[in-house]
Amino acid sequence: MPDRAAAAPAGTFRARRFGRLNLEVRQSIGRVKHAAFIAFGLGVGLAISVAILLASGVEAANIFDEFVVLTFFDRLGLSSVLIECSPLILVGLSAAVAFRVNFWNIGIEGQFFWGAIGATVIAIFDVGPPATRIGLMLVFAIVGGFLWIAPPAIFKIRLGVNEVISTLLLNYVAYQFVLNQIYGAWQDPRDRFPHSEAFDAAERLPLLGWEKVHLGLVISLVAVVFVWWLMQRSRFGVYMRFVGANPHMALAAGIPVAMTIFLAVGLSGALSGAAGFVMGAAQEHRLTGTMAAGYGFSGIMIAFLARNNPMAVLIVAFMIGGLYAAGQSVKVFYSLPQALVSLIQAIVVMCVAASDFLVRYRVHWLRGDGR
Amino acid sequence: MIEFLANWLAFTPVFAVPLLLATLGLIVNERAGVINLGAEGMMLCGALAGVACYIEFGESTAVGMTAAAFAGLLIAFLFAFVVVVLRADQVVTGITIVFFGVGLTGLIGLRWNDTAIAGFQKLDFGFLSEIPFFGKVVFAQDAMVYLTIPIAFGVWYFLFRTRAGLNLRAVGENPQAADAAGIAVDAYRFCAVAAGGVLCGMAGGYLALAAAKIWVNEMTHGRGWIAIALVIFARWMPGRAVFGAILFGGIEALIPRIFAAGWPVPQYFLQMTPFLATLAVLVWVGLAGKRRSAAPGALGLPYVREDRW
Repeated sequence: MPDRAAAAPAGTFRARRFGRLNLEVRQSIGRVKHAAFIAFGLGVGLAISVAILLASGVEAANIFDEFVVLTFFDRLGLSSVLIECSPLILVGLSAAVAFRVNFWNIGIEGQFFWGAIGATVIAIFDVGPPATRIGLMLVFAIVGGFLWIAPPAIFKIRLGVNEVISTLLLNYVAYQFVLNQIYGAWQDPRDRFPHSEAFDAAERLPLLGWEKVHLGLVISLVAVVFVWWLMQRSRFGVYMRFVGANPHMALAAGIPVAMTIFLAVGLSGALSGAAGFVMGAAQEHRLTGTMAAGYGFSGIMIAFLARNNPMAVLIVAFMIGGLYAAGQSVKVFYSLPQALVSLIQAIVVMCVAASDFLVRYRVHWLRGDGR
Repeated sequence: MIEFLANWLAFTPVFAVPLLLATLGLIVNERAGVINLGAEGMMLCGALAGVACYIEFGESTAVGMTAAAFAGLLIAFLFAFVVVVLRADQVVTGITIVFFGVGLTGLIGLRWNDTAIAGFQKLDFGFLSEIPFFGKVVFAQDAMVYLTIPIAFGVWYFLFRTRAGLNLRAVGENPQAADAAGIAVDAYRFCAVAAGGVLCGMAGGYLALAAAKIWVNEMTHGRGWIAIALVIFARWMPGRAVFGAILFGGIEALIPRIFAAGWPVPQYFLQMTPFLATLAVLVWVGLAGKRRSAAPGALGLPYVREDRW
């Protein structure tokens, strides 16, 4: 289209001196183009991440080996990816369920901790016969996660309290409570370190018989199928979508908006609690102060990259599991801090979020007269 | 008891100033319609830059604070580019900025980790500082405490007594109308985010140089989030932010005092109090403020002009 300012009669429009950006909101976008833009964002994010790894002293030749070959194409590496990704799948689902109803659950770490606390109570006080103990631990973990998210959910629904802040603040409260327990009543009597005593054999998730992969993977796969069915196939899933897209319209259409939000958010807390259980019963085998570190943000980023789609959560969580596993070995070999994993995740999310710009708008450059 | 009270009040400004600086920065942000959840990350970068430059360049607090402000500005540029220019989701990007800050400072902060520094020193006003009780509380603070008062006043004056401030508020309230009136919406938002970043960076720098006098990973420990809550508590008013910051600074200052006094209070439960108090304040605002929300009308919404080309 010709430059209107130049074409207009003199005096009607002032000529533009400088060029400027014009954004047109796209009405629709083709699948291929959409995927290409996201891939572009992802590519930029990964390129920056590689540059950071190089700058922190990882040799260029080793990056591909460390992050791809030794992680995904090596028996031991792949098994540790599968171990790492079980709690990641659960926190990813947790975030996806809450985000679907437009509830920003940033308190995943707090619910994770309360899941682990629930499991630990059953384990260290030996509640119930050994045969049912692991099941009881899971139930208590789910209840713990649910109870920890219930207050922010109610505050949001009844009082309009910003859930981003309320759920996040409760992370710190949960963390301090865990410290109180592991430095106090639940401190390991054997080594006097600040963690709970180790769980007995009956309180650990059994191994599946391939390297050290445990039943947690099965639990998280079952959760994926359940959440997929709930979100994509059930009536409740339709409600969630409706409430997330437009709560006023949903209310007018007779959908129980408050109850839908509460149940979806409660499920989110329960899934985070289950992740805490998997971490406690299968990986740490006790309650520790560091077990939840990083899972909150990872859950958010997995749900974001997966566009809240449970099946995509599975795939993204698997990739992030690879990053976690590779991060462990890089940490050991190059003495780089765990913060690296956090940084790489942040950069990838930022680049993908930024690439949305190209998905949402068609960009034109309007030339000015001053060139 | 008087001794305890004097100590407590004397320590309050050190904790109140970082909260106030960050809250003021966030008020400027949110008044322009940009919700900045990345405050914690900007504060962390400010804290590390402050300590690192303090150690490397002649142990000067002025250099440290300048570096902190600059670090906050850089992160704010990144944030502003993504949310103002590229119009990405402000919530996701803000949360990402936090973890970007955690990751970045964790990676490059190793060299300065756990190095104790002298940092800000209390000023001595001679006989004024000798006045019992008041001298200790009012006339024996460090320079930044006194400097924060004109900063708070300046933010209020800018927002409510200048044309640029009016324009900025218009951009946050109704960007369509502001744009139609000829106000450059994107430019105002970009500058507001930059200014907010400077103040958040300074908040982090002060926290490290005056309150903690050391750099440790994730040392801001949720203060950025408390500041975000304080903005709501302050109803987006700089004057109320001063009150809120003193209140929460007071709560934080009380914790080490209670430890020092040796009262038998469970330590970890005491550490929860700032977070529980913040949550209580949010609930209280929710209970009280259902009638009328003071939030800027276009808070968190990206603006697209959608003109013809």
